[in-house]
Formats: sequence, structure tokens, C-alpha cells
Amino acid sequence: MKRGILVGEVWASRKVEQLMGRSLKLVVETASADADAALYAPLTVAIDTIGGGTSQPGQKVLLAFGSGARNVIEPGPHNRAVLADAAIALFVDGE
Amino acid sequence: MFVGKVVGTVWSSVKWPGMTGHKLLLVRPYHLADLLLHPQAQAQATQAQATTGAAAQAASLPAKSPALPPAPAAIQSEAVVCIDLLDAGVGDDVIVAFGHAARVAAESESKPPTSAPITPIDAAVVAVVDGIHIVRPGT
Repeated sequence: MKRGILVGEVWASRKVEQLMGRSLKLVVETASADADAALYAPLTVAIDTIGGGTSQPGQKVLLAFGSGARNVIEPGPHNRAVLADAAIALFVDGE
Repeated sequence: MFVGKVVGTVWSSVKWPGMTGHKLLLVRPYHLADLLLHPQAQAQATQAQATTGAAAQAASLPAKSPALPPAPAAIQSEAVVCIDLLDAGVGDDVIVAFGHAARVAAESESKPPTSAPITPIDAAVVAVVDGIHIVRPGT
């Protein structure tokens, strides 16, 4: 898992079926408070299911990758058909 | 997943059977700095002005926004080779999925479904970007 800062969102109408209805957020993978460090840090597109429309840019988040991301979307052992390789697992309040 | 720009194609005649019928694209990942200068990205200098939603085309970075520092010399994203499922073209902005998610997408989009396994695939275009909304952190 990696810490990151939510910086925005991206939308698309041409997409694979499994992404229909998914909220796609842009997250920079940095834990630094230095705003300039975010400019050239890795930029990830993560599926957001926990925000429920409340997530705002600037929010510190924790990203789950791989099967961890699938478990955020659909917990359980039978989620291999879920298309997710990065998901927002939680909002960071403090560290 | 990451968002990037299609910068080229790769082709091959000798390949794993499961990879036939799909185009291979070269996609260069974007950094936040690239998107702040991107004409199609709806960038905003202050959080107070932040709006979400589908404002399709928006002005580029407001003039009052602080200038971007130069990119560190070490930062030059390598282009990623990924399988094209949506007939994207050079110049398009796309979202690319990695790993098992790429195989899930490739298996569902294969028409007709192939009997050969598509295990070599680990990156696939899963969306063609319509719009991007970003807010520069620390502003």
C-alpha cells in the first residue's frame, strides 16, 4: 500500500464494461508535504468506492494495489473477475 | 492504473497466440506537472474554485497560478507497451490498467473469445479519456 494525495478525477465514455459506474480519481504517490514534490511523483488512477462523492482534492489517502485493490471493490475470494489494480483503501486522518 | 498519452505503436509477427488480433500501443505516463499544462485538463489554482463534473473543455492554467519548477533531470517516464482494447490512436489520452486487471479486460474484450490463454498481457488500455479535472496541491 502507498500513501498519496488526491489531486483530481478523470472521466471517459469509451471504456471497458467493467469500469462502467466506477469513480476514477487521480492520486499522486507522495507522502511529502512539499507541494512541488507532487508535480513529478508517480500519478495513479485509482477507483474510489469509499468516498461516496465526498472526497475532495488535497485529501490524503492510502492506495491498495493488485488483489488488495480488488478486495476493496469486492471483498472475498471470488473476486478475480473484478477489474481493479489500484483503489483508495482509506482516507488518512493523521500519521 | 495510470493516465498517459499514446505516443506510438509496436508490431510483431512472431508472438504468443493469445496476443493475435490486438494492436500494441506505446503509452507515456503523465505526471501532475504535465496535466497542469494540458489544454484538455481543467486545472484550477485554488481549492475554493474547485468544481467537479463534466465541464468538457476548460481554459488552461489560470495566469495567476505560480510557475511550475523545472522537471528534475532523472524524471523521464518510460513509455509502456500495452494492448489496445478500444481502438485508441496516437495522440489520444488513455487510462492503462496493469497486471491481473489488464488480463480481465483483455479476456472480456476479445472478439471472438480466443481459446488460447492471454497470460503474457500485463498492461491494457481500458479507457479513452474525455476529460480531466485537477487541483494543484498546496494551493
